[in-house]
Amino acid sequence: MEGVVAASLDAILPKPPVSTLVDLPQPKRPDSICDASSAEFDIFRFTPVPTLILDASRRIVQVSDSFVMTSPGGRREDLVGWHADDVLDRTDRTSAFPVLASAREAIRIVEETGSLTQLDHSTDSQQVWRTRTVPIYRNDSLHCTQLEFHDVTEEHRKRLELEERLRNVETFRILVETVKDYAIFMLDPNGNIATWNAGAQAFKGYTKSEIIGQHFSRFYGEDDLATDKPGRELRTALRDGRCEDEGWRYRKDGSRFWANVVITPVFREGVLLGFSKVTRDMTDRRKAEQQLIGAYEEASKLKSEFLANMSHEIRTPMHGLLSALTLLLDTKLDFDQLDLARVIQESGEVLLQVINDILDYSKLANGSFSISHDIINIADIVHSVHRAQQKLFSPQVKFESHLDPQIPKAGEGDSLRYRQIVQNLVSNAAKFTEEGSVQINARLESEDEENSIIRTAVVDTGIGVPEASAKALFTPFTQFDNSATKRYKGTGLGLSICRSLSELMGGEIGFHPNPEGHGSVFWFTIKLKKCKQFQTIKTPRIELDGLRVPSPADVDHMEEIKRVAVNKHLLLAEDNFINRKVMLRMLAGLGFPNIDVATDGKEAVAKTIQSADDRHASVPYDLILMDVNMPVQDGVSATQELRDRGFYMPVIAMTANALKGQAEAYIAKGMSGYIAKPVDRKLLIKILLSCFKDQSND
Amino acid sequence: MSIPGAEDSIDPSTFEQILEMDEDEVEREFSKSIVYDFFTQAEGTFTKMDTNLDKKDLKTLSELGHFLKGSSATLGLTKVKDSCEKIQHYGQLKDETGTKDIKEEEALKKLETIIKQTKDEFHEVEKVLKEFYNDDE
Repeated sequence: MEGVVAASLDAILPKPPVSTLVDLPQPKRPDSICDASSAEFDIFRFTPVPTLILDASRRIVQVSDSFVMTSPGGRREDLVGWHADDVLDRTDRTSAFPVLASAREAIRIVEETGSLTQLDHSTDSQQVWRTRTVPIYRNDSLHCTQLEFHDVTEEHRKRLELEERLRNVETFRILVETVKDYAIFMLDPNGNIATWNAGAQAFKGYTKSEIIGQHFSRFYGEDDLATDKPGRELRTALRDGRCEDEGWRYRKDGSRFWANVVITPVFREGVLLGFSKVTRDMTDRRKAEQQLIGAYEEASKLKSEFLANMSHEIRTPMHGLLSALTLLLDTKLDFDQLDLARVIQESGEVLLQVINDILDYSKLANGSFSISHDIINIADIVHSVHRAQQKLFSPQVKFESHLDPQIPKAGEGDSLRYRQIVQNLVSNAAKFTEEGSVQINARLESEDEENSIIRTAVVDTGIGVPEASAKALFTPFTQFDNSATKRYKGTGLGLSICRSLSELMGGEIGFHPNPEGHGSVFWFTIKLKKCKQFQTIKTPRIELDGLRVPSPADVDHMEEIKRVAVNKHLLLAEDNFINRKVMLRMLAGLGFPNIDVATDGKEAVAKTIQSADDRHASVPYDLILMDVNMPVQDGVSATQELRDRGFYMPVIAMTANALKGQAEAYIAKGMSGYIAKPVDRKLLIKILLSCFKDQSND
Repeated sequence: MSIPGAEDSIDPSTFEQILEMDEDEVEREFSKSIVYDFFTQAEGTFTKMDTNLDKKDLKTLSELGHFLKGSSATLGLTKVKDSCEKIQHYGQLKDETGTKDIKEEEALKKLETIIKQTKDEFHEVEKVLKEFYNDDE
């Protein structure tokens, strides 16, 4: 319906057509149809609901004052007595008051159906009118029809709002219930589950009927339960208005998934209704993250490996180049050629150092760097570095080394790597010190039953390190003074390598300025494992190259060794059968009842293992006499293999290579003592006694 | 106890140590067996040395020198031992003290000489020892 709503019913009221005018004078009592009592008449007349009464022929027989009133300017006589069609059909009126059109429709329906009808009609101005049409019968025939016009605009608006709200709630309900990627459910204030959605069922595995009423803590693992994490989360949510957590949650079948959980308390009018809980399955994301990390680590490892391989590949031709250069320098070169060749040599050596540094660095970076556990002597290494590095120093610089006599003579460590650090620090000191002194100071910092901590410091009086650069000293590729790089060559890797090495050896590294004034102190510590298993045999009175040193006390040892020998089981490893025969005879003469024989190193290892199996003991032989030069496997490598396999009985090296310093070399390689050939019996007794004494002391 | 006429080729105290291992000072069963075993070993080794000298196999020659050095040292046969050590060094292309490098040609020449000398020294001490054990074969 169109048109503007009439401010009054005035416009719709018909000009009474004379032909159909019914005489119904006012306030005359109604006649035939409305011959009701005055009270009944008044009901219709004064009802607040605008009302029309039609007779069976649709003539308006009664109209309420309220109807007339809703049509200001309208007059009762313009309505009463008129035929409804005349009033309602008038398009000029219906268009002004569209409700009337629906009244006609209502009358039609009532006549067809014979039952009460309600028709709602909304106008363009959002007003809603309800036409209630009541047919009234008498004796089965239509007597009259009552039409009521109710303004239901407000009611209608409220209903629409309610419907809208219901629709929204329904939409949300459907959304929540059907969403499968999130578990969304409600907990009551105690944490028991109150609602359950498809997502929750999909990735927790419980059906709605199984889980409603259960406490939500059943999704947590034992660790979380032990610390009352569920309870803590509810308290956090109450305190902060929200609680978010990532962690493992468990499904019905016991499997777990990585979850992101948000718990929010829900209040209505200040009363806690419960908590909403939204859980997301982060397994895929976590997997992706871990794959990403894995890929990164792999790439980083590949990079390091590539660097290591490249450095290795470059190093080989570099060695060739430098060797050829050394030969070239020995030939007759004129002054200019010699000068150029020296430049090549110097650059080549720097390049080689760079390559070696990168090789070490990349090995350290990818973790493939291993530290060996030899028996090392700190004092020897420091002396050796001191000797070797002396050439780096100009006469203006005093180069000294100081050793703490308390440093153990032997300990388990990596001599090569210890040496590498000392050398690196010394060569740095040499680079930056033009006058004054450079000192290597090594001392025993502390010790316990297992380890000794050795602190080694290189102290110089050189240019020192600016305070600002001190922190970055041990970072890779750092040189504290870039402007100085032209003067001081290097990769900037040296100190970073030193740091990694000292850490690998269980120590640390550091720097502080020289307290004496200008210059630097670089220090590092290493952990030196004490070697109890095979005590170094003390041979103070034995001269290794002149072995026959008769001592008056020797005679007494004969009885002692015979006492000790009785229950000892020895292995003699010797390839020359003449020596074997003599040694066996000699040992038998000393009272050893039980001597096994091996003819090479491999056999010695095999027999040791076999006898350990037979005797169910970790020390199958009480002592092994081991020839150094043997076919198949030499004595040194056999001894190392035995040590590696966990055999720590004394092993005494026998050799005719009676060169100075060799005893130390054998001991460094895991042997316990050394005796030169031809084996002097008295000396042998002494060494054996000393070994067994150390053993019994352990 | 020293062996008359062999003081410079046999170390008295070392050899004495071997003799002390004999249970019977007349029969001297143990030391005699060792000494005769050594004769056999020495002859065998010399044969191998000759073969490897022809083959110019310096490494094996050095090993053979070391091998015989061991047993001759045990018996105190000083001269033989010292010469064996030289064989060992020459085989490693070192001079007789084992300190300086020498050329292969020189080494082979020196080896030829020293092996011959070792044999002579051996036969000399062999004779003394056989006399000592009253063996007139």
